Amino acid sequence: MEYVRTKDVPTRKPPMNESSLLGWLKINLFDTLFSSVLTVLVLTAIFFAVKALWIWGVSDGVWVAETRRECFKISLDGACWAGVFAWLDNIFYGRYPRDELWRVNLGGVLLVIWMLPLWLPRVRGKILVGLSVVALYPFLAGYLFSGGEKGIFMQVMIAAAIVGLAANIANAVTGYFNHGSLSNFIIRKIGKSEAHEKQQRNILLAILLFALAVAFIWQMSWTEENVTWTKWGGLFLTFVISGIGIAAALPGGIFLALGRRSKLPVVRVLSTAFIELFRSVPLITVLFMATTMFPLFVPESFQLNKLVQVIIAVCLFYACYLAETVRAGLQAIPKGQYEGAHTIGLGYWGTMGLIIMPQALKHMIPNIVGTFINLLKSTTLVSVIGLFDILNILRAISKDTPWIGLHKEPLVFGAILFFIICFAMSKYSRHLEAKLATGHRN
Amino acid sequence: MSNTKTKARKNANGQLASAASSEVIIDLNEVNKWYSEFHVLKNINLVVHEGERIVICGPSGSGKSTLIRCINHLEEHQDGSIVVDGITLDKNLKNIDHIRTEVGMVFQSFNLFPHLTILENLTLGPIWVRKLTKVDAEKRAMEYLERVRIPEQADKFPAQLSGGQQQRVAIARSLCMNPKIMLFDEPTSALDPEMIKEVLDVMIELANTGMTMIVVTHEMGFAKTIADRVIFMDEGVIVEENEPNAFFNNPQQERTKLFLSQIL
Repeated sequence: MEYVRTKDVPTRKPPMNESSLLGWLKINLFDTLFSSVLTVLVLTAIFFAVKALWIWGVSDGVWVAETRRECFKISLDGACWAGVFAWLDNIFYGRYPRDELWRVNLGGVLLVIWMLPLWLPRVRGKILVGLSVVALYPFLAGYLFSGGEKGIFMQVMIAAAIVGLAANIANAVTGYFNHGSLSNFIIRKIGKSEAHEKQQRNILLAILLFALAVAFIWQMSWTEENVTWTKWGGLFLTFVISGIGIAAALPGGIFLALGRRSKLPVVRVLSTAFIELFRSVPLITVLFMATTMFPLFVPESFQLNKLVQVIIAVCLFYACYLAETVRAGLQAIPKGQYEGAHTIGLGYWGTMGLIIMPQALKHMIPNIVGTFINLLKSTTLVSVIGLFDILNILRAISKDTPWIGLHKEPLVFGAILFFIICFAMSKYSRHLEAKLATGHRN
Repeated sequence: MSNTKTKARKNANGQLASAASSEVIIDLNEVNKWYSEFHVLKNINLVVHEGERIVICGPSGSGKSTLIRCINHLEEHQDGSIVVDGITLDKNLKNIDHIRTEVGMVFQSFNLFPHLTILENLTLGPIWVRKLTKVDAEKRAMEYLERVRIPEQADKFPAQLSGGQQQRVAIARSLCMNPKIMLFDEPTSALDPEMIKEVLDVMIELANTGMTMIVVTHEMGFAKTIADRVIFMDEGVIVEENEPNAFFNNPQQERTKLFLSQIL
């Protein structure tokens, strides 16, 4: 039996596939009769829902009015956005004095400027940039937001923050324009690049101390009036609580996770107990405990304000959640990675910090960002214990005389705000994952 | 065993090994180890001299991997003493860290760090443990990448390399620490046949530089070429120990004969 093909087989077009629009529709939406019917039904439902929303919110919506009554005169069924707009300042800043709003805005702008180098290409020392944000920015922002008297510690930290910010900006500029890191640039400019490493370090140290002294003297002239935390509110307060929460909970979670996997029994048991305790209690309970029970246990003289108590409670609570996330990440790292690290002589902290944690955290980015989003949304619970965060402000609109009874629109507005923030975080986490991907594990 | 101390050994080029090789660098004395109830190493005695190249073979489960993993304390022995480079292995973490910087190890599964580039894999230890500057560490890393013949892969990630290339990177990573001793735990067992040779070539080259090496392997051809001594282990004991010619041509123990008849 022989078979010899004498003619070439002609090339054929591929069968209908998902790469063309028609093919995609056919395969995904109109595959069978049943799925075609479902598709039509769902599309119809979506159409009517969107249409109703559009009519309520946009075409019948009232954008300019003095009171809710005026809204009704213009359109009885439409949304009364005018009420939300009238309250915009409250929604964003709470009862923060209107003349001092620039302080909050400046704080936000400084944060963006401080973090911007993290996303710029060629900038050196990004880890240092990230650490300086967490370690120094809070002092600068803390003074900007609350003002008033500064203790000596606060003054030193403010000066350090000013120097940190200035160095960070300069470092970003030299890096971005291809001059390497700031320290290299300085050494090169003063012609000491051949000098001994120790001498170079001393020069940099001298410059740093001089800058600190200048900054210290400068900040002494700052006399911003005191704005107590009770006047903080709205989205600003939400950002303060969740910002500190996010910045503190991740390191806290990492240490708790390491503690739970530690070989030292005392550390392990304490970490485990701490994590399990906080995880088995609802956040709202922790918040109530922090504000009502905690003061009973400490001496009168040692009274923290409610905001600090709430922030500590949020940090501890989410540190425990993140600890479990991080622990899951740690368990996914094969034993060979530890052994590989040990054989090049790395000790416990070197192994964890350089080899294990970077991989574990990378795998856990979706979960970690998920917890961050959860944290941001859960800060609305502080409205229950009387802080005027964004949710409380939104609900207060309905009690304001001109806008009495206006419930829906503020909450829809709040939902849109939260969606924008959380969706941005989620998108960014996807971007980070893609950027950090270096192929599969071992 | 005592005769190995005075015995003149030859390296792969047929030259006599240098006299410096008479110094003892690893000394295992009556080492015992249990995995819970399972007695995995039984009364192991082993003396290794500087520059000596030892091949350990034996059936799986015989304890050969455990033995060399005890030498850099990836596994803890429960009884007996292990002295490496003059330092006794005990619970003292400083000693363990020190010994690990002097003892390089290559694993069956490479254990490269997947989140770092090849170059970063190689410079990590020199920078963080040996405290070299980045420039010096990178210079050294490139030298060793040249030696294992893959300098062009320096900026790739481990997952982008073939198994043989990854194993050569792993060898270079260990060498960057300038270790006195190199341990190999079945370095070619996870590789495709055509990649085994490229790794063995690198190892033979390394052996010719006079490095002290202990190699757990099933590559008997490799053992014949470079080993000064071949050790056969079974069920946690050293059954037989001899120079390669005698070991392969004239095994003394029945168990060794059976093993050799099955793998040769």
